[in-house]
Amino acid sequence: MQRAATSIFQFKNFRTRLLIFLISLLGTVLGAVFFSVNQANISNARLHLEDALQLTANSFARSLRGREKILTEKVRLLSSDFAFKSAFATRDTETIRSVLKNHQQRVGANIMLLLSLEGETIANTTDSGRGDSSPALDDLLTAAMSSSHGEASAIQIIDNIAYQMVIVPLFTPEPSAWILIGFVVDDSFSLEQGEFTRSEVSLLYHYKDRPWQIVSSTLQDEAKSQLTEAIASNIVSTSRVFDLLLQGEEYLSLILKVQKGATGESIAVLQRSLDDALAPYLRLRTLMFMLFSSGLAMSIVGAIMIARGLSHPIEQLVKTAKRIENGDYSEGVTIQRQDEIGTLATSFNSMVEGLAERDRVQSLLGKVVSREVADELLSKGIELGGEEREVTILFSDVRDFTSLCELHEPNEILNLLNRYLTHMSNSIEEHGGIVDKYIGDAIMALFGAPVFKEDSPQNAVDCALEMQTEIRLLNHELAKDGLQPLTIGIGINTSKVVAGNMGSSNRLNYTVIGDGVNLASRLEGLTKLYGTEIIVSQSTRDLCPDLLFRELDRVQVKGKSDSVAIFEPLSVAEASSASSKSALHQYHLAIAHYRSREWDEAERLFNQLLVDDSDKKIYQLYLARIIKYRQNPPSSDWHGVAVCKEK
Amino acid sequence: MILNKTTLSLATGVLLSCALSTAHAATVIASVSEKGKAQLGNAVVYAFPVAGLTESEKNGGKQIIDQIDKEFVPHVSAIQTGTSVDFPNHDKIRHHVYSFSPAKSFEIPLYKGTPASPIKFEQPGVVKLGCNIHDWMAANVFITDTPYFGISDASGNVVLRDLPAGSYKIYVWHPQQTADTNSTAQQVVLKDAESHAVSFTVEKKKQWVPFRAPTSAASSY
Repeated sequence: MQRAATSIFQFKNFRTRLLIFLISLLGTVLGAVFFSVNQANISNARLHLEDALQLTANSFARSLRGREKILTEKVRLLSSDFAFKSAFATRDTETIRSVLKNHQQRVGANIMLLLSLEGETIANTTDSGRGDSSPALDDLLTAAMSSSHGEASAIQIIDNIAYQMVIVPLFTPEPSAWILIGFVVDDSFSLEQGEFTRSEVSLLYHYKDRPWQIVSSTLQDEAKSQLTEAIASNIVSTSRVFDLLLQGEEYLSLILKVQKGATGESIAVLQRSLDDALAPYLRLRTLMFMLFSSGLAMSIVGAIMIARGLSHPIEQLVKTAKRIENGDYSEGVTIQRQDEIGTLATSFNSMVEGLAERDRVQSLLGKVVSREVADELLSKGIELGGEEREVTILFSDVRDFTSLCELHEPNEILNLLNRYLTHMSNSIEEHGGIVDKYIGDAIMALFGAPVFKEDSPQNAVDCALEMQTEIRLLNHELAKDGLQPLTIGIGINTSKVVAGNMGSSNRLNYTVIGDGVNLASRLEGLTKLYGTEIIVSQSTRDLCPDLLFRELDRVQVKGKSDSVAIFEPLSVAEASSASSKSALHQYHLAIAHYRSREWDEAERLFNQLLVDDSDKKIYQLYLARIIKYRQNPPSSDWHGVAVCKEK
Repeated sequence: MILNKTTLSLATGVLLSCALSTAHAATVIASVSEKGKAQLGNAVVYAFPVAGLTESEKNGGKQIIDQIDKEFVPHVSAIQTGTSVDFPNHDKIRHHVYSFSPAKSFEIPLYKGTPASPIKFEQPGVVKLGCNIHDWMAANVFITDTPYFGISDASGNVVLRDLPAGSYKIYVWHPQQTADTNSTAQQVVLKDAESHAVSFTVEKKKQWVPFRAPTSAASSY
């Protein structure tokens, strides 16, 4: 959480990270593609449209010329018609007009005029006459006169109707008059052209100093007036393609100059709707948008699925790992997959099995050897060899166990032994000691190995005292079961010994070896002799300054040349009793007299002590020795040391 | 070839006049040019005695206007009033000669060879000839009362011979001239056995010509 707070790009959730990465990556790429394709499409459409418009203009111009040519040829037929010439020769206006009408009908024209070479009307098929409304016929005449064959064509307005006019001379056989034929140009003309060129086509005409008027157009009326306004305001380019907004629709427009005379001019405006041209691109854009959106959506779904596919097994792994942390190896993860996750799950399960196996071994080892030894073995590895260190060794043994065995069945004995050993082992472990080994009913325990502890000697003595308490509790239970009570002797010695793994390379024990071990065992054996439950060596006693001890004797045990002072620790109850303390003081005084060979004084004190505690075996022991030494005084080098021949 | 024919008919006309004139007559040497340009051919120069024509001077003759290779030859003819003109057709195809001109309106419907009777031009004036079936075929016949006329050659020269001494008005006419013939007339006094030079400048108007169909001659094999 703290790390997440340091950076906004640090997401707790893998799925969120994957999603944000995918969305930003795909979004950027797709957005860029979308934008550039769209721009390219639009500019391409415009270019395409401009080209098309130029082509349309060319085609329109050619079409206009072609139409002119066809119309001219139609009129030329008339100009050479002998019957018409004959009629003209009559100079009878009505006849001439009638002939004109006849020909107008023949070629499908809308107006016919016969002008003198000077431009005066001779005959006119319309009733209105040309009058002043058609000054631009002058342009047509001028054009005809300046041409080699006396022919010309132009858009002309007569009585507010637009005509495509063709003029040819009447040859009789020399030119004698002008024949003019007009074909109405209205919206149908533009529609025809528009259909052909697939564009909006408008034809505009204006007389000099008069407003532009639309002669023919494919546009709606409103658009028409907008177009004339735009043309009139000169905002449009006459040479290049320009944009024009008509009725809210954008048109690419091109102006084509059709004709320009002294009195009037006409232009064609060709237009194509940009929106129409863009329609396929817009469809493409929509399609692209849909494709991109669905692609993005699918990617998101895919990412979520991938993330879930990853986070799900991870959660399962975490859950299992936590269970394993708590020591539950009952089940591994169940992920059936072929990918890396599957491999991980398999490895994880193998690890779980391994851990479970190790734990089982450790637990089993803990039962066979003490936990500390097991830990020592597991942590340091098992190798033969040891190290010298100070260890307090405790030996305990059940007195008269052999005779006890004779009274009971082996099964019962085993059962009893197990109950007893369980009680004792618990006491030892509670005081930081380890059970080194069971030797039948005997227990060898170590304090200060394999893990060194400062107060190991004191722990060992405390343990011995508690073991005595425990045995009394056990005896209470045994009594209920109708069994005989047990008594144990405990010997304790602190000594430098070698601690380590001993045995063969295939089978070994963690134990301690040394003189000190034997002494502890001997001390245990002396308990019966001195009538005490616990005997502690001098070295141990020196390391327990807080405890009170009763000095028992100085002994030279079997196999040892040096004598050793042996002590009995006072129980907590004894140590706190004033009378016990004064008795202890008197006892130590008696021992001192004894060692000074002051037999009488020693005897007097022991007898006094015996008055208060008649069962104390140690007093009786010393009284017996005093009697013995009076009769056979010890040698001069005697210092109060008793030699123990027993094992 | 066309030029030769023209010269031939020109010469015939001159000879005819010469035969009827006296030996000591005057000669008019006229030079016709187009305004601002070079000499003008096909211009008719004719002279009227101010005193008027005598009866002996009024006599029509005969003239021929051929149709050769779908063209009238000559393009411009000058004849004295009362002259009969034959229109021999030298082409393999038929022609339909017509005139809507007020001086002489006539029609010779499709024919081959020489029509049986010639056309007599009895009024002075200009007759424009055409062919009904060939729009481009056109010819001019200038009909005048005076026997003193001639047509300018390619160099624009015309010689009028055997004119009796006296005062004359000399005119020029060209099919495309814009001015009235009277406005360009020149009065001269001719003396026997003398030559008198006159020059005319003619202003031509633009002439539109019909399209000519491709001819067999033009595309000769």
